[in-house]
Amino acid sequence: MKRFSVLASLVAAVGIAAVSMGFGEKPAAPAAAPAPKVKKSYTIGVIAKSQSNPFFAPSHTGALDAASELGKKLGTTIKIEWRTPVSEDAQKQAEAIEQLVASGADGIALAASDAKILKSAVDSAAAKGVPIVTFDSDVPDSKRLAYVGVDNFSFGQSIARELGKSMGGKGTIAILAGNQTATNLQARVSGVRDVISKEFKDMKVKEAYYHPENPQDSVKTVEQVQAANPDITGWAMVGGWPLMTANALDKVKGKAKVVAADALQAQIEYVKKGEVEVLLAQPVYDYGHTAVTLLMDKIVSNKSPKDPIVKAELVPVTGKNADEYAKNWTKWLGK
Amino acid sequence: MNQAAPQSAPPPAPSSAAGPKAPVTRPLWIRVVSAQETGLVAVILALVVGLYFATPQIEQVDRTTYQAAGTVVADLPDGFTVTTPAATGGSPKVLTFKEADGYEYRAIENGAIVMRKFQANKFLNAANLLSVLTAASFIAIMAVGMTGIIVSGGIDLSVGSIYAFAAVVGAFALKAVVGTSGAPVEGASLMLGILVTVAVCSAVGAACGFVNGFASVGLGVHPFIITLGGMAVYRGIAFVTTGGQTIGPFPENYIKAFGKFEIFGITPVPMLLMFAVAAIGWFILSKTVFGRRVYAIGGNEVAAKYAGVPVGRAKVQLFVICGMLAGLSAAAYLGYYGAGSSDAGQGYELNVIAAAVVGGASLSGGRGSALGAVLGAIVIQLIDNSILMLSIDQNYKNIVIGLAIVLAVVVDQTKHRLFSGARR
Repeated sequence: MKRFSVLASLVAAVGIAAVSMGFGEKPAAPAAAPAPKVKKSYTIGVIAKSQSNPFFAPSHTGALDAASELGKKLGTTIKIEWRTPVSEDAQKQAEAIEQLVASGADGIALAASDAKILKSAVDSAAAKGVPIVTFDSDVPDSKRLAYVGVDNFSFGQSIARELGKSMGGKGTIAILAGNQTATNLQARVSGVRDVISKEFKDMKVKEAYYHPENPQDSVKTVEQVQAANPDITGWAMVGGWPLMTANALDKVKGKAKVVAADALQAQIEYVKKGEVEVLLAQPVYDYGHTAVTLLMDKIVSNKSPKDPIVKAELVPVTGKNADEYAKNWTKWLGK
Repeated sequence: MNQAAPQSAPPPAPSSAAGPKAPVTRPLWIRVVSAQETGLVAVILALVVGLYFATPQIEQVDRTTYQAAGTVVADLPDGFTVTTPAATGGSPKVLTFKEADGYEYRAIENGAIVMRKFQANKFLNAANLLSVLTAASFIAIMAVGMTGIIVSGGIDLSVGSIYAFAAVVGAFALKAVVGTSGAPVEGASLMLGILVTVAVCSAVGAACGFVNGFASVGLGVHPFIITLGGMAVYRGIAFVTTGGQTIGPFPENYIKAFGKFEIFGITPVPMLLMFAVAAIGWFILSKTVFGRRVYAIGGNEVAAKYAGVPVGRAKVQLFVICGMLAGLSAAAYLGYYGAGSSDAGQGYELNVIAAAVVGGASLSGGRGSALGAVLGAIVIQLIDNSILMLSIDQNYKNIVIGLAIVLAVVVDQTKHRLFSGARR
């Protein structure tokens, strides 16, 4: 495709690049001369998985912050439309995509509840010139512009490494694995197994234990497994379900070390108490921030990321930085 | 068999709008005003007018007209020029679009599209209304079947699970016909695919409905209990057969030929199904012997039985119809979203019951209408949409919809008492 105006594109591209790198530099002139392709306002839809899951709240704040930062630098207004269903429902997400496309949204950020159900909606939005960036959960093989998230296999690897370190490289671990059919969780389980078998010769994995993904059932699973297998001295939790209660580890503490995924507010209490060694947090705030930034890159200067898979880095939360990390939640939930 | 006996002490006679021998002595205006549907139409009109004035004019985009317009070749001071791809046999054309007329282009993967921007009311525009009606369709189709059951004094809590089960089985059958590789399918298997979707989904739904009805009537257990069990069982089977994995996605050209068939820039298939089901449901419930029997059973089951109405058979038939419609709705879902998941329709049974009840169906039986159910589903979707349109925090959605449903039913009952006071 030929550029209609190479010069204008270049100016915009340089401006956006500077903004997206997060450098303090000001773009040459915010109102970049006649700035032909920067409109007065843009609308970006953000569709996370569910309102009732606090996990996604920071992505909203991240998107809002990116919108106001980029808006200032580009001299325009970027509006964020938060269209997350109350509870997980891929059909509702597809409806939201259609409504956003129809009402003239410029781009969409999506955490897909079901990649196959959403593929058609994502592809048809892309064909109509509305770029989509997925975060947290991808729609692979679709025409989405990019995916921002962690690689789940290496997520599992990191959990296993942290746990192996805290156990001194010796012992038997159990994996708390959530829903057997969730592909992202199973990738994490494989990651845990991979590292334990390759990097820790004196450790072994007892088993991966599946359970309904809610606090009550996961606590029950942990307690019953620990009671039946006193030789377990470590838990790799690929999700944080049991830690959403206040006393999940009463039957585990003193017997086994715990490393778990995610660092929601309730979970952080456990590292403070010393019952959990490390929490590995996903940068959910950055998901929202990066998704909006990538979308604006595409919309204003037709620039796509070099690699459509934008890997996010995990943040370890331990007793040392727990208080500091907990402050983030005040900010993330504030909006 | 003594289940579903009317709960109220003196069993109310079947209502005027619905009863087998509605008196025609009342003036026409009273009959029109007291008709179930009139109130709902009034509510819909009020919502439409209210939202029209409450929402701002916003910029809308017409993305369909100039889709895949070709390559942008020149940037003019007040617009741009595009060469359209050579159409079948023809030569490429050069078209000029003026920005002053609202034209804008955007690059896409292989070329560019030209969009036309225009001002429109945020609520009252084709795209938004279409999306409201489409969302209502999936619920409304099931609500018609539910209304039949509710009128007879029963309930079906399993429709959401039947929806998922039928979708999953339909998806397996469809996979065998069109595959899930994403490769386009040619004409013959395309038609077969659509037929298979509708036939398999409806058949699975009807079978589940038969099990519900047969178990309820045969065992003499209230349908609330039977379908409560069915709700868990059908979803459980759907989950076990798929292992929780979604079946799909089906080829894009199958979706475009069925669920998202596009004409004049709209995708009318779910909507048309909804209107067709509403019309057939209205005919069956109000113009056939079967329909009259349903009202008679709901009005007073014992009396209906002594009057010679085959109560058990009629009830089983109602459950079969309701299940079949849940299956039909699932077929529309498969065709529209292009994949089937055992998670589909979680909690839809309550949305469906809400639509039927807002549409005037009485849970104690004897009252309700198919058109009312469809209008009820549309009202609920409009309220849902209004929260979006008025930019109210989405977290308040459930609260607003819950209150609106209760309010709608209270108003309806009050009105019903006022206008049919002489008959009570």
